[in-house]
Amino acid sequence: MRLTELPLKRVIIVTGKGGVGKTTLTAALARRLGAQGKRVLCAEIVPLAETPSQLSAVLGGPRPTEDPIAVTSNVWVTLLTPAVGHLRFLQDSLPVRLLADAAMRSQGLKKFLAAAPGFSDMGVMYRMLDLVRRRQPSGAPAYDHCIIDSPATGHALALAQIPEFLARVIPGGPIARAAKDGLALLTDPDHTGALIVTLPETLPVTEALELKAGLGRHRFPVTSVVVNRVPVNPFSNEEHSAVRSMLPSDGRNVFGARELKRIERGAAALSLLEERARGAFVPLSEVPGAGQAAAENLIGLL
Amino acid sequence: MGSAELQRLVRTRKVVVCCGAGGVGKTTTAAALALAAARDGRRVLVLTIDPARRLAQALGIREHMKEPTPIPEALLRDAGVTTGSLDAWMLNPDVVFHGLVHRLATSPAQADRIIASRLFRHLSELVAGMQEYTAAEALYELSSSGRYDLVVLDTPPARNALDFLEAPGKLARFLDERILGLFLPSSRGGLFKKATELISSVFTKVFGGEFFTEIQDFLGAFSGMFGPMRAHAEGVRKLLTSGESAFLLVTSPDQAALDDARYFRDRIKAMGLPFAGFILNRSWVRTDGFIAPELLTPDDLPAARSGLEKLRSLARVELERAERDQKLLAQLASEVPSSAFAIAAPYLGEAIEDVRGLTLLARGILETPAAA
Repeated sequence: MRLTELPLKRVIIVTGKGGVGKTTLTAALARRLGAQGKRVLCAEIVPLAETPSQLSAVLGGPRPTEDPIAVTSNVWVTLLTPAVGHLRFLQDSLPVRLLADAAMRSQGLKKFLAAAPGFSDMGVMYRMLDLVRRRQPSGAPAYDHCIIDSPATGHALALAQIPEFLARVIPGGPIARAAKDGLALLTDPDHTGALIVTLPETLPVTEALELKAGLGRHRFPVTSVVVNRVPVNPFSNEEHSAVRSMLPSDGRNVFGARELKRIERGAAALSLLEERARGAFVPLSEVPGAGQAAAENLIGLL
Repeated sequence: MGSAELQRLVRTRKVVVCCGAGGVGKTTTAAALALAAARDGRRVLVLTIDPARRLAQALGIREHMKEPTPIPEALLRDAGVTTGSLDAWMLNPDVVFHGLVHRLATSPAQADRIIASRLFRHLSELVAGMQEYTAAEALYELSSSGRYDLVVLDTPPARNALDFLEAPGKLARFLDERILGLFLPSSRGGLFKKATELISSVFTKVFGGEFFTEIQDFLGAFSGMFGPMRAHAEGVRKLLTSGESAFLLVTSPDQAALDDARYFRDRIKAMGLPFAGFILNRSWVRTDGFIAPELLTPDDLPAARSGLEKLRSLARVELERAERDQKLLAQLASEVPSSAFAIAAPYLGEAIEDVRGLTLLARGILETPAAA
């Protein structure tokens, strides 16, 4: 089944270990859904607005900012920073806008929000909710899909835990309300679904299944596991065993044999997934190129 | 410069920090370098954040361990460690933070009061934010304990590593009494009073009055500890910026990882931290000792001939990668100052998940010739 044939939700959290191709998949999926006529926002979580954008490097188009900007007629990109979330939160929860601006200018408060543990994730989450809830003048949602490129496995789990944590720790006031709203949205399978990206090797596949279980424990809905960069196997079974028997057994290395082993490990990882996830995964073949070229080559597979 | 220089670092420095984007192999590189130092007779600790499970199992590290644990002697003997030793610890933010509070509190009663508070218990749950603080803290504490000649640190994944680098300074700024004072009830007047009133009004509205009081009580419980905590933060900064530390940037040949590595390098330099060099991990640079598929003799079966033809095209793919990675390595070497290096670590195929694999990797990193 193709990824775009799955029931993709309005909030798509792309997660998985570093180096598995989350950002490339985010860019390709945004362009694919955009080409199908959907209004798509893709977002990258960064600590500061100045941080170089990896998403922009594969997506192309203008340099992203903390406010969504258009990449094509249907695709927007933005940076999710803690600071913009804090500002939006203060603007929403304080009765006077001036007070929020003054508060954000206060060095003391700024430093507190930047340094107190957990507050930066809270800012990111609040900004995410803010963008997801945006409406067009007609009242329709501003975006059909918000694809969030989440920086690392731990981060997705942390984001999943934050609303729950806040709701427990801070019993009243606007933060508690925002946390409850956040929790309601993130745990609603009609609105949110994570894509867990992994590679076709045994260990990454095992870790992806563990992450799926972990997200499940926080009632965080998972749409699918996506196995990226599955090597194309050019060999028939007969060719494979013939080549295998030709390889020297005296420890000498042959060019091509490492690729052959990689193909074998990929097949083994997919059968492990078949067995443990009962088919609830989407394999994506390895595509040539790097950066933006890789993302463009991936679009056709989605 | 190159492998010999890295060998010298591993033999002489007190702290080696491995940074880089997620998924480039920081943990295995850190563990391999630690093993190499132990083989050189040093007492070594490798501090990791999130090791792949099988590697952790192979090294005998488990989650929630209270302190560093020695790698079983038999394993180390097999890896050629004789007089040296190797401990490993998967950082436990909870344990590190408790330790910090106990050491720096002015009295045991104060420590108990902090640890028993509701906020403190919740604070340590937020592992995502705490890892960076505790990594810096644990590094400082263990490195100055006298138990180890070398501590190798595997930094938190992806860009959070930058938070780690900034953590000591950030903590010091956070603990600046002038800032914290804004949150505490004060009898001072003038501008300061205005600022306090603004913050208290914002916080009461945002958090609810009850929680703001709780924050005030919590911060109040720390009083008298700020001085020692700042001194600690300063100690971390001094250790990391001194010539006793070295920062290695681990990257894979992947473009995004390379971009991140270059960004890290600039940040490391801007922060005055000692940048030692790049390790281009999982590279296909090494082609010595490999033979071409043409040298294999096919059986008479047609499948053998067509199979061999397909193996040749895979060989061409590998050779293209080797060429690409050689260029990359030369490029990286040209971008580092003369005191730093760029070294290629070999692509070892499977995930490294035992001491034997680490030994192979260590040999690959420390014994390959670097780019000219």
